[in-house]
Amino acid sequence: MIANAKKKVTDAALGVFGWIDDRIHVSEIFEHTAGHHIPKSTSSWFYVFGSATLLCLIIQLVTGTLLALAYVPSGAEAYTTLEYLTFEQPLGWYLRGIHYWGSNFMVSIMLIHMTQVYLFGAYKYPREVTWMSGVLLLVITLGLAFTGQVMRFDEDAYWGIGIGAAITGRSPGIGGPLVQMLLGGPIISAETLSRFFTLHVFVLPGSILAIIVLHLRMVLLKGINEWPEPGVEVNRETYDRHYAAIIKREGMPFVPHGIGKDLIAGAIVIVGILVCAAVFGPKGPIGPPDPTQIDANPRPDFFFMWIFAIAALMPDYMETVALLVAPPIVITLLFLLPFLNNTGEKHWSRRPAAVLTVVGLYLSLGLLSWWGITSPWSPAMTAWRADPTPKQFLVGHTPLELQGAIVLQQKQCRNCHAIDGIGGVRGPDLAEVGSRLTAPELARQVIQGGGNMPAYGKNLSPYEVNALVAYMVSLHPTGTTPAQDSAKPSVPPPENSKRQASADPAHGDHG
Amino acid sequence: MIRSRLLPLALCAIIASALVGCDWMPGKPNPANRWKPAASITDPATLFAQNCLACHSIGATTSAAIALNSPTFLAVIPPATLKDTITNGIPGSRMPAFVESKGGSLTAAQIDLLVDFILKNKKPIEGPLPPYAAPLGNAATGQVAFATFCASCHGGTGAGAKAGSIVDPDYLGLVTDQYLRTIVIAGRPELGCPDFRSRVPGRAMTDQDISDVVAWLASNRRNDLGQPLAAPNP
Repeated sequence: MIANAKKKVTDAALGVFGWIDDRIHVSEIFEHTAGHHIPKSTSSWFYVFGSATLLCLIIQLVTGTLLALAYVPSGAEAYTTLEYLTFEQPLGWYLRGIHYWGSNFMVSIMLIHMTQVYLFGAYKYPREVTWMSGVLLLVITLGLAFTGQVMRFDEDAYWGIGIGAAITGRSPGIGGPLVQMLLGGPIISAETLSRFFTLHVFVLPGSILAIIVLHLRMVLLKGINEWPEPGVEVNRETYDRHYAAIIKREGMPFVPHGIGKDLIAGAIVIVGILVCAAVFGPKGPIGPPDPTQIDANPRPDFFFMWIFAIAALMPDYMETVALLVAPPIVITLLFLLPFLNNTGEKHWSRRPAAVLTVVGLYLSLGLLSWWGITSPWSPAMTAWRADPTPKQFLVGHTPLELQGAIVLQQKQCRNCHAIDGIGGVRGPDLAEVGSRLTAPELARQVIQGGGNMPAYGKNLSPYEVNALVAYMVSLHPTGTTPAQDSAKPSVPPPENSKRQASADPAHGDHG
Repeated sequence: MIRSRLLPLALCAIIASALVGCDWMPGKPNPANRWKPAASITDPATLFAQNCLACHSIGATTSAAIALNSPTFLAVIPPATLKDTITNGIPGSRMPAFVESKGGSLTAAQIDLLVDFILKNKKPIEGPLPPYAAPLGNAATGQVAFATFCASCHGGTGAGAKAGSIVDPDYLGLVTDQYLRTIVIAGRPELGCPDFRSRVPGRAMTDQDISDVVAWLASNRRNDLGQPLAAPNP
């Protein structure tokens, strides 16, 4: 009885499906898309990053749409709506967190995907267009990341646009009009945010969807790259037959047999984004996008940290080359890679140059990003008035040395020079400077500057210089002598070296 | 069997409660960290930590300039002088003006908060107190008073013994007469220099002693050629 009813239901369902399939040919579409045959060897954990990137994009589209419901893309209201989302709207901060971490995951996983494709030689014949569309997707994703950073319309965004516009403005001949087009005027104004909003919400997502269609179409047309074997070379004459033979021998439909690992990886990505959003929360907004806020300390998001580091570290005569000439060359090389290296070995063990390229690239990007995050070239702007001098650098010092310690704080030396690790790291730590430099050397450095340090001679009275030098000479570990003039015969360490140091006649020479 | 059915249910319950609980997850931005313009900060401890702490301790740290929790200093300085010092700084010294109109980082209201915050530690002190400011006394008698009250640490000539020199021309070129007076009165107990009452046990320095010692110290100012100098500023 029950079996009979079950059969009836099944028949009815099949009937409905059959009717739909007859009208819109679902099963045929399925067979040519999700059900297409893939080599068994590609059902591997190394092949999940493409679908994981796509999943991130879907998360970004959903959360982005939800954010757009509250966000007002106007210069006057964007910051207020961000604050509303972050602090007032229940779980608004979580939505922002998911969108922020979704973008971090998307850029990271896309880079892993590209690396895997490169190391597996998947860009070679006949998948050139798949690779090239992928490079376009990378460029668009970075565009989305940059414009997304601008949507968080705070001081990071403001100065980010400023730097973007300054780079654009250097383009020969068309720099001015380009900046005008980018900003909607000569300066960052109410129009600017609308432009970036349009890019972030309409132009770039539309383009990325269009290129993804091409990218996936190429995956279906030219197949997924089989697991490379050392010694098996790609040959334009024979590869198509070779691939067809693999599919015939060990092919299996992507759905349902090949998708398992992608689903698990997708679940891990979703959990990763949700957990990161819950634990670390969204970024910012920090101070409002107001150029009169002089205590702003803007930083790009992590995917542009390496550019930030390059811009800070390169000599100024390299700027135009590094900002305008290098990126087009790099992107063109990346784009044309399949033509530079179209056939031959695919396996990484036979392509040492490729492996070295990847290692070198990641080391450079990683190191530059780390420098960008720590930015040792940036002074700690509040150290001079907020970081007290540690006790051991004050007790037992003479009245003059204590005045020197005050000069060191008040003239903001501390913003660049830490004492015992507290303060700026742009210049050397001064905790033991007295054991490295003599009084005349210190006085010369303070007065004339040099080695990236400005000259303070015009900003200090002779008394201040003497006090500062006396204090620095006294900064050496207990029981050691201060630095000595190498041109003079060495003297035995005095009994109380700190006191003697301050009374050192040498520092009186330059009053 | 029951177990395998309960497991997904339990997982769903955990995820659902986790989602509901998200509003107090560690990543939730703290409204206290919401950006505010520096002029709207009204917590005096924050203002002190952001503007004063590097040079002036208030207890937990040590500082190169005078500690603002020094009981003697707090007992003698008139509140109006404290406010004026923060507002306008001390020209010619290392103390900058903090009021916005003079290029500083604080509003007048914030300076009032800071004055109250610093004076909160003020406690009554027994015995007569010297005035915070007074004209210079007699340098010759000052030298005698110095020998009595200060020489045990700074040496008979003031050039330093247990403690460093107090007559170094560079030092005297950097400090005002009022600064010298304040240190003679309040000392730097945390760095080993007692206040005016404790230098000689059982014998506090009198108003006259203080003014005379300051006059003698000031008379030691010298220029590069060793010639006597006046005070660096009024």
